Amino acid sequence: MDDLLKTFQISSAGMRVQGSRLKVISQNIANAESLAQDPNGKPYRRQIITFKNELDRAVGLDTVRVRNVRPDMSDFGKRFQPNHPAADADGYVLTPNVSTLTEMTDMREAQRSYEANLSIIKSSRSMLMSTIDVLR
Amino acid sequence: MDLEKLSLFSAVKTRMKWLTQRQEVLAQNVANADTPRYRASDLKPFNFREILRQEKIQINMDVTNASHEPGRRKRVRDFASEVERNPFETSPNGNAVVLEEQMAKVNETHTKHKLVTQLYKKHLSMISMAVRGPN
Repeated sequence: MDDLLKTFQISSAGMRVQGSRLKVISQNIANAESLAQDPNGKPYRRQIITFKNELDRAVGLDTVRVRNVRPDMSDFGKRFQPNHPAADADGYVLTPNVSTLTEMTDMREAQRSYEANLSIIKSSRSMLMSTIDVLR
Repeated sequence: MDLEKLSLFSAVKTRMKWLTQRQEVLAQNVANADTPRYRASDLKPFNFREILRQEKIQINMDVTNASHEPGRRKRVRDFASEVERNPFETSPNGNAVVLEEQMAKVNETHTKHKLVTQLYKKHLSMISMAVRGPN
């Protein structure tokens, strides 16, 4: 029964990291059009979140947590827009390296993992209930 | 009356322990479904004969001097788990957790747990019937 209670902690840790992942994704999508102010400035850089498996010493479990959120160092896009304040001498503006399509697929994956964790909680809960039912 | 002495009850108890521990391992796998280089693990299959033979031996290092560092105490686990050697698929970041497979295992564990608890209740009610008589 103790193991089942620990399951809740593990799964909620899993749900928490997927929540942070969704936060980073929404940040990327929201800033998909954030351009620089002047020709020397840089547009928004896409952020990537990574996870790691960590031993939670308090409960003696392997849970998951966010390792870090770091910038995606891939190249910026370019768009011809001579009248923009951030345009360079040739009339090109750097655009953020965010691909909305990639972010959307990532979001779906996060959603799927979140649901999987949730259904583990549901399943463990009903297992606990059936154990308690033995007492009746 | 000690119910533990009835082999059925002790078997049910061990089985329930195994199932709850497996649920924990599966929850770990699902929580780490997007952790780079994480590989899914699972409990070793439940083998009744092995369970009977297995004594709970947990040896910890003894210290003979106060300044000795005691060995790290292992977490007492009743059943051994093992990392899957041949995962079904591995994603580019080295993660080898297949969510569908894990969900199937969770459902299996759930159903078996249900079965075991029902079995327990059934036998308990049979005993109480024998004690009480037909009415």
